[in-house]
Amino acid sequence: MILCEDLQFRYEGDPFTLRVNRFSSEAKETLALIGPSGCGKTTFLNLLAGILQPESGKIRFMGESLSELDLPERQQFRREKIGMIPQNFELLDYLTVRENLMVPFWIGKSSREDRVEAAKRIEELAERTGISPLLEKYPTHVSQGERQRAALCRGLIRSPQWILADEPTGNLDTENQEKIVSLLLEEADRIGAGVIMITHEPTLQPRFDRVVDLLELREEVLRP
Amino acid sequence: MNAGGVFFLGLRYLARHRVKTILLVSAFVLAMGLPVSISRVVGHVEAQLRSRAEQTGLVLGAAGSALELTFNALYFTKPGIASLPYSEVEEIHDTGLGQAIPLYVRYAAGDYRIVGTNLDYLDFRKFQFAEGRSLLRLGECVIGARVARENGIQIGDSVISSPESLFDLAGVYPLKMKVVGILESTGTPDDRGIFVDLRTAWIIEGLGHGHEEASELSDDQILERKGDTVRLNASIVEYNEITEENLNSFHFHEEEGKLPLTAILVLPYDEKSQAIFKGRYANKDTRILVTPADEMEELFDTVFRVQRVVLSLLIAVGVAAAALGLIVFLLSNRLRAAEFRHLKNLGASPATMKALIGFEAGFVLLCSGLLTIAVLVLVDWIVPIVLIRLI
Repeated sequence: MILCEDLQFRYEGDPFTLRVNRFSSEAKETLALIGPSGCGKTTFLNLLAGILQPESGKIRFMGESLSELDLPERQQFRREKIGMIPQNFELLDYLTVRENLMVPFWIGKSSREDRVEAAKRIEELAERTGISPLLEKYPTHVSQGERQRAALCRGLIRSPQWILADEPTGNLDTENQEKIVSLLLEEADRIGAGVIMITHEPTLQPRFDRVVDLLELREEVLRP
Repeated sequence: MNAGGVFFLGLRYLARHRVKTILLVSAFVLAMGLPVSISRVVGHVEAQLRSRAEQTGLVLGAAGSALELTFNALYFTKPGIASLPYSEVEEIHDTGLGQAIPLYVRYAAGDYRIVGTNLDYLDFRKFQFAEGRSLLRLGECVIGARVARENGIQIGDSVISSPESLFDLAGVYPLKMKVVGILESTGTPDDRGIFVDLRTAWIIEGLGHGHEEASELSDDQILERKGDTVRLNASIVEYNEITEENLNSFHFHEEEGKLPLTAILVLPYDEKSQAIFKGRYANKDTRILVTPADEMEELFDTVFRVQRVVLSLLIAVGVAAAALGLIVFLLSNRLRAAEFRHLKNLGASPATMKALIGFEAGFVLLCSGLLTIAVLVLVDWIVPIVLIRLI
């Protein structure tokens, strides 16, 4: 499970402070994180992923204290246990879709066996998400929805324990939003991963086990 | 850090943005290669010119440009320089201070200069024959290796001298010369020379000629008889090739001592003789005696002064190009900030990011360095070949 206690974070030179007294999510739970723009959803997600380091407080990820790890340890932790799905796809334009899916293996230590296994997994994921015909294309040559499906596959490629998705449907039409969320939840269920997804779409929220509104939970998130 | 991954990602980035990569590499190659290439070209020219100049003791010629005289005698250029009489060769021999080798370098056959000289020149330059033999009689020629190679000339073929002016009907007639020897390549201007006996060169100029026997001509071909002198009209057949049959008909109307030379190579037997020669010609207004090595020294003093200015400018341009390349690289990395941030978010360590940027920069610099070396190797290979053509 994920457990946050007395979490406090502030960007340098910014008066906004994010404070979370307590937040928890069970393993394999799917959770929609909602709230108005600027309330700190992305910051909170980045804290959970270890991209940002809290000023104070603890983040425990499956028993491991993330806030006590140093930077390389947090990066390794993120590479191995978390699948990140960004809002803007963030596919590298100089790599094909297939190569983009391999990026998590190229940027960290991976054995030849890992990469062979990953190549097989790419075929499976691409088949299930419908991007098989796009694997050799460059991201600039595919549609928004297809790019997001590719980004989803990349987030899943290492079979993470948690998937942290920062509004992955924000740039998509309603039909594609539904498809992406369905794919995300199906794949998470298939690999037994928990999901925390930021979304502004009310129609998508019922698909998740739980919905957390950061602003409504006044005791959890406070503005100065 | 995954070295293979960094290598792959870096290469893919550079390959996908190949225009930018090529421009960067070209800028660095120009920045590094141009000044070095120019230095090497000048170095080759210097080595080539100095080496031949140092092998040639002194050159005597008619008063005029010392540099033109040097170039005529050593590189067979500047055919228009003033001449001096052949008698001076004898005068030098008579001093007993050194050897004198006459040169008459005035005419050409196509792009190749005809060098009128004697057998001493062939010995002096230590020519080796690839095929054939040396000069034995009038009308024969020995050709340099490039003349043979570039024109597919073989022993027994002929070379025809070029008329000086197409419209000068009364001028020099082309002379057909038989190739009796082909020299081994020497990598010097001799490779582009057509060597003939001095008298053959004078015949090309029209100072000597062969024609039908006057006594066998009809009266209407004779304009005037005065004692031993017979004036013939233009219908007389002049030979344009020297053969066994007509060899004896060739003659000169001038004493040999008065016939022209463009230069005399003077090879003093020792340093003392050299000093005497220099002293003897120092005050002669009508002659100049030059030391080719000194002329080259003077020439290169000027060349090096110009080269220093050019190199300074090129280095400044190179530094500016390198700085621009660096700015392009830094700006490019700034534009990629989102990409780098995302790679970090995916779990790339700072070491991986530094390695990625470092690999891309290093690869561009390595390619630039290798290409610069390739350019320099090419310059080293091609310049001597081109120099032989130019000098």
